[in-house]
Parts: sequence; C-alpha cells; structure tokens
Amino acid sequence: MSAVSVAPSTPLPTATKVPFGRLVMVEWRKMTDTRAGRVMLMITGGLIALVAGIILLVTALSDMSALDASTWMSALSFPVSLLVPVLAIMIVTQEWGQRTHMVTFTLEPSRLKVVFAKLLAVFVLGIVTMAIAVGIGAIGTVAGAAIAGSDPSWNVTGEALAWTLATQILYLLMGFGFAMLLLNTPAALVIYYGYTLILEASVFSALYFIFDWAQDVFPWISMQVAMMPFIAGNEMQAAGVAVEDGALGIARLATSIALWVGLPLVLGTMRVLKSELK
Amino acid sequence: MYAMIKVEGLTRVYGTFTAVDDVSFTAEAGKVTGFLGPNGAGKSTSMRIMVGLTNPTKGRATINGSLYADLPNPGRHVGVLLDASAQHDGRTGREVLTLAAMTMGLPTSRVDEMLELVSLTPSEAKRRIKNYSLGMKQRLGIAHALIGDPKVLILDEPANGLDPAGIRWMRGLLKEYADRGGTVLLSSHLLHEVEQIADELILIGNGRIVAEGTKDEILSSQGTVGQSLVTALDNEALTVALKAKGYSVEPIGTGMRVSAAPAEVGKAALEASVVLTDLRDGGAGLEDIFLQLTAETQREAIAPAHPEGASA
Ligand SMILES: Nc1ncnc2c1ncn2[C@@H]1O[C@H](COP(=O)(O)OP(=O)(O)OP(=O)(O)O)[C@@H](O)[C@H]1O
Ligand SMILES: [Mg+2]
Repeated sequence: MSAVSVAPSTPLPTATKVPFGRLVMVEWRKMTDTRAGRVMLMITGGLIALVAGIILLVTALSDMSALDASTWMSALSFPVSLLVPVLAIMIVTQEWGQRTHMVTFTLEPSRLKVVFAKLLAVFVLGIVTMAIAVGIGAIGTVAGAAIAGSDPSWNVTGEALAWTLATQILYLLMGFGFAMLLLNTPAALVIYYGYTLILEASVFSALYFIFDWAQDVFPWISMQVAMMPFIAGNEMQAAGVAVEDGALGIARLATSIALWVGLPLVLGTMRVLKSELK
Repeated sequence: MYAMIKVEGLTRVYGTFTAVDDVSFTAEAGKVTGFLGPNGAGKSTSMRIMVGLTNPTKGRATINGSLYADLPNPGRHVGVLLDASAQHDGRTGREVLTLAAMTMGLPTSRVDEMLELVSLTPSEAKRRIKNYSLGMKQRLGIAHALIGDPKVLILDEPANGLDPAGIRWMRGLLKEYADRGGTVLLSSHLLHEVEQIADELILIGNGRIVAEGTKDEILSSQGTVGQSLVTALDNEALTVALKAKGYSVEPIGTGMRVSAAPAEVGKAALEASVVLTDLRDGGAGLEDIFLQLTAETQREAIAPAHPEGASA
C-alpha cells in the first residue's frame, strides 16, 4: 500500500534514555496543543488584563488617589492564584481523563520522571505568568499615578515580592498534589477552590478574630493565617495581635504547608507511581 | 538472541479473582504470535503487564531479556498499541504523532512517513481525534506504534474497527514486518483475524493458556485428525464395511461420522463397492477447538458441534 519501509532495522539501536529536558518540552507542548489548554491560557491572560483595566478605569473615573505598587500586586496575584493552579491540576488529571496516560507512561516508564517533567513545565508556566502579572502591576502603578496626577508609590519590598511569589508557588504545588491524589479534574478543582476561596478567604479569616481557640488552631492549619506574621506583621502589631514570627511562627507555617502541600504531593506521587494504568 | 518477548509465570490477581493465571510463552523474532481468547480472558491485562502499566502479582515479562521499564527510550524498541481510543479528543492525529516523535527524539519527517504508511490523508491528519472514525483511530494507533521503528510490536486487537481492505493491509504489514526479523504479538478474540497471519497461536481462556503452537500443532494435539464425514447411496452397507475394519461409525444427518481418515473410508467404500455421494475431512476446525478449549470461559453456552462442523 505504501513504499515506506516498516522493517525493523538491524541491529538494535543503542537507544539512550529519553533526556529529562525533552520530557519537559513535551509536557510544555501538551499544555498548549489543545483548544482547552489554549483557552485556559487566554482566560488567565485575559483576567489579568481585565483586573488591571478595571483598576485604571476606576482610577480615571473617580477622584481617588492612585493605587500603590503593593495594592497592584495583591490585586493582580488574585487572578493568578485563581488560574495557574488549575493549569497545574489539568496537566495531571487530563492524562487520566483522556486516558493518554497509557501512551505517556509507555513512552517513558519512569513515572517519577514524568511527574517531575510535568511539575517543571507547569512551574515555568506559573513563574512566567506571575512575572507578567508583576510587570503589569508595575506598569499599572505608573499609569495609575499618571492618570491621578501623583507620583507612583513603589512600596513593595523585595521581601513582600518574595512572599507573594512563594504563596503562588505553594498554591501551584497544592493544586498539583491534589491532582495526583485524586486523578480527576472536577474533584481536584473542588478541593483547591474549596480551600482557597471558602476556607482561606471566608471561614478562617471570619472566625480568626472572633474565637480565641481559632487563634490557637488556625495558624497550624491555614497557610494564609500562618503566613500573616511574616507578610503583615506591622498591621497585626497595629491591631494589637501578638506577632509570632520566631520559631513558633516558622513551626506553624511549616505544619500548614506540610498539611496542604507536602501531604498531597507525597500521597499523590505514591498513587501515580503505584496505580494500574488502563 | 534477537528481540523477543518472554513471559514467565505471569499472574495477576484482583482481590479474589485471578485475571491472568501463570501464563508463560515466548513470542519469537521473525514470527507473528497470535494471542487469542474470548472476552475477559486476560489478554489486555497480560499485555499491560508486559509494558509496565500493570504490576504482575507474580512472574515477569521481558523484552530481549530486560524488563520493559528498563529499556532506554522504549518507544524505539517496542511499538505498543493497547487502546486506540485512548488519545486526547482535542488533539489532531498529526499532533499525537508529533508528540511521540518528540519524546523519542525522531525527526518530524517520521510523522509524515507514518501518516502515509497508514493512509491517513493530510486533511484527515489535521482533524481532531474526536472527529475520527474508529478505523481512523486504529490506523493512527498503528502509526503511533510503528513510528519509533521498533523491533517488537505489542498490539491489542489492532484489527478492531478496520474495514476489510484495512485488515488485509494490516496483515500484509505485520507479515512483512515479521519476515524482516521483527517480533509481533497481537491479540484478538476473533480467530479468523489471526489464523491467517499468525505463525504461532496462544489460546487463552480464563487467564490460563489452554493451547499453543502452530495451527497444525494445535489441531493434531487435540486429536481431531483422522475423522471423516461420509454419505453413501447405501449407508448401511458402508457402515458394515467400516465396522468390519474396526472403525467407529456414528450416524449424523443424512450421513455418518467415521473415526478414519477420508482415504481409509474411500478404500473401504471401493472394496465394498458402495457409491459415495459425499466424503470429506471431519476433523474439527481450529474454531471448534478454540470454542471447546475456552468453553468454560465463554459467556454463551456453546451449541453442540454442527453436523457439517468441518466448515471451519
Ligand atoms: N482492576 C480490576 N479489578 C477487577 N477485575 C479486573 C480488573 N482489571 C481487569 N479485571 C478482570 O480481568 C479479566 C481480564 O480482563 P482483560 O481486559 O485482560 O480481558 P481481555 O482478554 O482483554 O478481553 P477482551 O477480549 O474483552 O478485550 C476480566 O474478567 C476483567 O473483568
Ligand atoms: Mg482486551
């Protein structure tokens, strides 16, 4: 039917292992070669642009003063935290949902290598997205100040920037961990949004200042509460709350991270390594 | 020893159910080995174990002496097609092959070669998999298995969904592949699909191997040679003559089944001057044996062998 030879060439090729970098490239490509993947990236970019546009519009229309750089950064990291972890979830769960895992893991039987390649690919994507968000925030700071006729306020310290990045990375790892643990897109999304939008954003912050026990327990189980002494120590002091940024604070932070990021990553990796692929 | 698949004591237990039960065989280089069994016999499970997607409870499968997981860049050694529909709906056929070529470190020209080989047109290759017909997915799966120029092929029901021309084309392809020294293991639950191309057959039922060897070896090992179906003008006279020679005769329909080869029956008829109206080999066909051997594992009770049961 065709002139193309299907003959196995003798002798056996002395094939070398698939280089890790190539696996990362393949995983990167898989994030962008479907309509679903491209739509996700466009939504992420679009949402960042939308938030920035709304802030500038409001600044222009109202006579409020221009937002400072740190407010810009927290405003723009919200869409990032909403969407980048979804990419981290999908890079894993889609393989199971579409059953392409059978092909992926026959072409590279080292499941751990594939897991790391996926993590690195989505990690790079996350960093690029955050860099774009921070860049737009900087542009917004200048543009907003120009619109309001004031000097831009660059009140972001290197430390604050580092904490913002660290938070986003933790969310990304958390999404990735739960994706491996559940191997199912909707379930992983529910857990991720349930944690960030319901527990962190509403439950923990609402109860924290109301109940004494909450102030004892939450720093151990909520990453956001555990981070507060490090990110917003001054504000806490001003509000008359004890700031634990010593060994106890670090122990709390480590515990909450172990609970929401470490545990799902470890258990999820074990599940991916052991499970039968069919 | 040139690339071959060796399966030793492979067993896979799910809870209390043994899906694959102590399966051992060798698929040799230069041969097409057919892996045959009814639904649920354990073919796919065995094949998944061979490529490391399922862990065996006991035993092991090696390819040219090493475990699949230990093969460097395994796509270059073993072409695998387990389930042609297990591809991302939203990717194009070309993209699926491109990803494979990238992973294996092959030039993209290989993608075009494979598309041409399996007769997927450039416009079909640009379509998303969700718009592929079953046969197109199967062709893509075969292209995917062959793209790395492997020495060994492991194909689970590759003919599934192919049209008659496609099945014939695939037979030719696999035959040629084996003739040039490749090792082919393909599964099927349809005997006639495999019978014509497989040099060796492995019959599996209920997770166990029930027979193996070439078609002729299986036929003779089951003791079905030396049976005839005969009809004569004077059946009674022929029965007497045959019984006198010590053969057993059993009436079937308008004729008889005799425990002798057709030549013996013809000789007896000649000596007794009986006119024969029909005489043929009454040995059970491969299909009958296949059905008998796997009888306990069939979902349907098997009808007693048809009087003219030699048609297979
Ligand atoms: N995870 C599992 N848990 C329980 N039983 C399983 C599991 N996986 C497979 N089985 C059982 O193992 C048996 C063998 O299945 P397998 O898919 O290997 O059959 P097969 O020979 O490929 O059949 P078919 O011709 O229908 O494809 C079946 O009875 C199946 O139900
Ligand atoms: Mg099967």
